[in-house]
Amino acid sequence: MVRKRRNPTDIAIEVGLFLFACVLLYPIYFLYVGSFKSPAIFYDPFAFPKELYWGSFAIVFEKVKLLDGFFNTIVIMSFSLVSIVVICSMAGYAIARVKNRWFQAIYYLFLSGMIVPLQTTMVTIFKMGVSIHLIDTRTFMVLLYAAGAIPIATFIYVGFMKSIPKEIEESAFIDGCGPMQSFARIVLPLLLPATGTILITNVTAIYNDFMGPLLYLKSESKMTLMPQIVQFYANKQSMDYGPVFALSALAVLPLILLFIFTQKYMIKGLIVGSLKG
Amino acid sequence: MERKWIGTAALFVLPALLLFITFTYYPFIRSLYYSFTTWDSIRKPVFIGLDNYAFLFEDRKMIAAAMNTFKMALFGLLIQNPLAIWIAVLLNRKFVTGYFLRAAVFFPVIISLVVLSVVWSQILSYEGTLNLVLNQLGLSGWVRDWLGETNTVFITIILLTQWQGLGYCVIFYLAGLQSIPADLYEASRIDGAGAIQRFLKITVPLLMPTITIVTFLIIVGGLKLFDIPYILTSGGPGTASYTLALAIYNAAFRENNAGYSIAAGVVLMLIIMVITFIQLQITRRREVEM
Repeated sequence: MVRKRRNPTDIAIEVGLFLFACVLLYPIYFLYVGSFKSPAIFYDPFAFPKELYWGSFAIVFEKVKLLDGFFNTIVIMSFSLVSIVVICSMAGYAIARVKNRWFQAIYYLFLSGMIVPLQTTMVTIFKMGVSIHLIDTRTFMVLLYAAGAIPIATFIYVGFMKSIPKEIEESAFIDGCGPMQSFARIVLPLLLPATGTILITNVTAIYNDFMGPLLYLKSESKMTLMPQIVQFYANKQSMDYGPVFALSALAVLPLILLFIFTQKYMIKGLIVGSLKG
Repeated sequence: MERKWIGTAALFVLPALLLFITFTYYPFIRSLYYSFTTWDSIRKPVFIGLDNYAFLFEDRKMIAAAMNTFKMALFGLLIQNPLAIWIAVLLNRKFVTGYFLRAAVFFPVIISLVVLSVVWSQILSYEGTLNLVLNQLGLSGWVRDWLGETNTVFITIILLTQWQGLGYCVIFYLAGLQSIPADLYEASRIDGAGAIQRFLKITVPLLMPTITIVTFLIIVGGLKLFDIPYILTSGGPGTASYTLALAIYNAAFRENNAGYSIAAGVVLMLIIMVITFIQLQITRRREVEM
C-alpha cells in the first residue's frame, strides 16, 4: 500500500483537533476522578487522588435507593421499547401496504404529532393521569413514552417498508401463512435495521429523560435515575459534591458502555431520531 | 385477498391509533380549550376568552424567557452553526487518531442534561476549574461567579449547551459532507479553484439542506431548554436565566396557573409550527438538484 506523505497543515489540524477533543472529554474525566477524591481534596480541581477513595460511593448507597433507580429506569425503558417496536412496526406495515385514504389520513394524523411539544399537553396529561388513577405509576410512563414515539417510529417504519418488495409476503400468503404469521415471521425480521435505529434513539431519550418522571412520578420507590440525581443534588444532605459525582458517574456508566460498543449505530440513530420537533 | 387483508390491517393500526388518540390527540384538544380558561387544575375551569394569551405579552417572566430564547437562537445561528461546519470540515479527512477524535466530539451527546449540569456546576463554581485556570493565565479580572451573576448567567448557560450542541451539529454536518461526491472537488481543483472557493461554491450550497435542518434543531432546542436552568439556577438570579419551557412549567406547577401555562404551551407550539413551515420552504427552494 502506498502511503501519501502527510503535509504539515494536516498534522497541525490533527493536533488542534486532538486538543479540542481533550477539552471536550475533560468534564467526563473530572466526573470520574471527582467521584474517587476524598473530601479533603475534592475542591481542588487539579488534585489527583493518590489512592481510590470509596467513601462517596458508600454515602450514595446509604442515602439513595440506587438499585431501585436502576431497576425502575430499566423496567420503564424496556417495556417502552418493546411497546414502541411492536405497536409502530405493525402500524407502519399496515400503512405502507394499504393504499387507502383512511390509512393515509391516520398516517398524517400521526405525523402531525411531531410538532406538538410536551409543554402544550403536559398539564392536561397530568390531570388525565390523576383521573384515570395512573399518575405515579410506571405503567403511565410506559404508555406515555410509547405514545410519544409513535409519530417518528411509524414514519421510520413506513419509509423502510418501501424497500421491502411486496412479493415476499404475497408468496407467504400463497403458502398458507396468515397475515399475523407472515408479519411476525417474514416482515418483522426484515425491518431489523429500522428497529435498531428506533431502539437506539429511544434508549438515550428515555434513559436520560428528566422532565417526564419529574411531572408524572412521585413516590421514591418508583423514581428513575435522573430525578434521583437532581433530588440528591438539590437536597445537599451531604454538604459536599463527592457523593453527587459518584451517583452521576454510576448513572451514566451504562450509556457510556453502550456508546463505546455501538457508536456507529447510535450516531445514525441520533440523526434520524432528531426529526421530532 | 385485498378485502380480507384490510380488516387485518385495521387491527394492525388500532393499537397505535388508540394510544395516539388517548395520549396525544385528546390531551391536545383539551389543552386548546383549557388555554381559554382560568384554571388551577383542581376546580372547574372558567372561560375567559383570550385573556391568557393577552397576558403573555405583559408577563415580565415570559418576556425575559422569550428574550433569552431569542439570544440563544441568535448565538446558534451566528456562532454555533458556522463553528460546527468548520469542525465538521476539519474532521472530514483521514487522521491517525480519527476514530478517537470523532468519538470525543460525539461523546457528550449521550450524557444526560442532568449529569451535564452537575459536573459543570463544579467546573464553573467560584473555586472551580475555570476560575483557577483564569487565575493562572493571569486573567484574574475575569474570575467571577459564572452562574450567580445576572449579566453572565445566561451566556454561561448558552456556552454550556455547546458542550453537547457542537458535537450534535457536527454529526449532521459530517453526514452531509460525506454525501457530497468527491469527484466534484477533484474537478474544481483541476479547474484551479482554491480551498475557500471550493468551500463557498461546492460545500456550502450542497450542505444547504443540512444547514436548514440544523438551524431548525438549534432553535427548537432553545425553545425547549428546561433541564439546565431548572437544575442550576431555577431561572435566576431574578429572571436572568428564564427559558420558555421553564416559565411554562413554573406557571403550571409552582403558581398553579394551569390555564395560563397551557396558553403559553400553545404559543410555543405555534412558534414551532411557523419555524417548521419556514424551514420546509427554505429547504425546498435552496436544495440543489443533483
